[in-house]
Amino acid sequence: MVGSSFETACGVFDGERWDMEQQLADLAAKLAALEKSTSMAGTINSEVFYWWCIALMIVIHAGFLAYEMGASRAKNVLASGIKNILAFAFIVPTFFYFGWWIYLAFPDGLTVSDAAADGLPWAAKMGPNLADNATGIFWGAFALFAATTASIMSGAVIERIQMTGFIILAIFLGSVVWILGASWGWHPTGWLTAQFGFHDVGAAGCVHLIAGTFALGVLLNLGPRIGKFNPDGTANDIGGHNMPMTVIGLMLIIVGFFGFLGGCIIYVNGGQWTNIYGQPATLSAFSFNTLMGFCGGLIGAWVKTRDPFWMMSGGLVGIISAASGLDVWYPPLAFLVGFFGAFTAPIVAKLIEKAGIDDAVAAVAVHGYGGLWGVVACGLFAAGYPNMNDMPPVSLTGQLVGAGVFAALGFLSGYVLSLALRIFGLLRVPANSEILGLDKTKVPLSAYPEGLKALPAE
Amino acid sequence: MLTSPISKWDDAAAYFTFADNPTMIMGILALSAVVVAASIIFGSFHEKECYMKVTKNGH
Repeated sequence: MVGSSFETACGVFDGERWDMEQQLADLAAKLAALEKSTSMAGTINSEVFYWWCIALMIVIHAGFLAYEMGASRAKNVLASGIKNILAFAFIVPTFFYFGWWIYLAFPDGLTVSDAAADGLPWAAKMGPNLADNATGIFWGAFALFAATTASIMSGAVIERIQMTGFIILAIFLGSVVWILGASWGWHPTGWLTAQFGFHDVGAAGCVHLIAGTFALGVLLNLGPRIGKFNPDGTANDIGGHNMPMTVIGLMLIIVGFFGFLGGCIIYVNGGQWTNIYGQPATLSAFSFNTLMGFCGGLIGAWVKTRDPFWMMSGGLVGIISAASGLDVWYPPLAFLVGFFGAFTAPIVAKLIEKAGIDDAVAAVAVHGYGGLWGVVACGLFAAGYPNMNDMPPVSLTGQLVGAGVFAALGFLSGYVLSLALRIFGLLRVPANSEILGLDKTKVPLSAYPEGLKALPAE
Repeated sequence: MLTSPISKWDDAAAYFTFADNPTMIMGILALSAVVVAASIIFGSFHEKECYMKVTKNGH
């Protein structure tokens, strides 16, 4: 009787154990399914985030388009617009052919990294691939950064550059030069950060400083617009035909910058955001400092000039000035850095003009100087922040080295390529076409067929 | 034209058109690059022609 009860009890126990094991197995399977589902949701969230960053970065391009067209005289307005749109159109495919490969290839300097194979235009990752949700969306965001660099140069050279020469310059800047700089200093293992602790979270250096100095090199070979300077060297103000369009364009650029800066932070599935260098960061930090830098810039330029064009350009300078340390600034410091950058940028623009250089939209001052100040300010006021994997921390020396490398890379490449284009007759439009206006010369449409009339040719 | 590199979705990875045909991939890539380069050259000829017209018309 006892034995029978014991056997019964054992049987019940075995049955319960079997049930429990079955339940555990079910639970483990559910947990694995849940982990897989959560991981996939994170992957898709990441794609969604960068998708909308790309869309917002296209707004930057729309802003530059309105800005340049407004800053052009009525006789050149459509030609300026076409030029801007074509920069975008040619950069995207060329960034596919070699731009992304350059980024992956050269973090060590000029030797090709093993990772470059994934960026070759025939690689399995460079197209629809169910095992890779990242490459396409990052490639897209970087292609839009590339388009931004070309837009920066585009405004400086309006009303007298040949389209062919401009397209070649835009491709070279957007799909070669800036991305080489990004590989060096805006990459988790780029040699500038690995050896010098270079820190430029919001791309003030590789995008703005490089594009601004590239534009400066081009402007030296391109020369000023006819009528910009008098024989005694004094400058005339060549106003655009639509200042409200210019100001709205600048505001669109600011809107787009939230996509640009969103594209500068790395979504980590299941973990904290990081910056491009792998250091922990938050989008909240970007929010604090982008807005504070922007408003510092608006106010700084307003105090200095009282000019709405410079106010909006100043807002842009403010964001660029705060960009390098966007992840670490105490927000009022970002405000002050932005204020100083925007207060001084009009002075830099004046100096450039006094040097006989005709930068139609002050791109060199806004982006070149703004980017330089942003990189240096990070070294002045954010030194000591630690790096990853025993790489050096942020320092003024590291920031100065990075600024010097980017400025030289941008200026020399812009100068040499535009010199070659000038020698081959592909850089400047003939004087008679410039005087007549580029729209009448080569655009089969009139910008304002029933309204605004172009001023007489000068 | 049958261009799919896959016949089922299970375990599919790179599934873009001609992904399993390197010759076609290189051919299409080269063709698209030629279109980009040719468009720039075509634009250059058009531009030169426009400038010449302005000069010829005495502006």
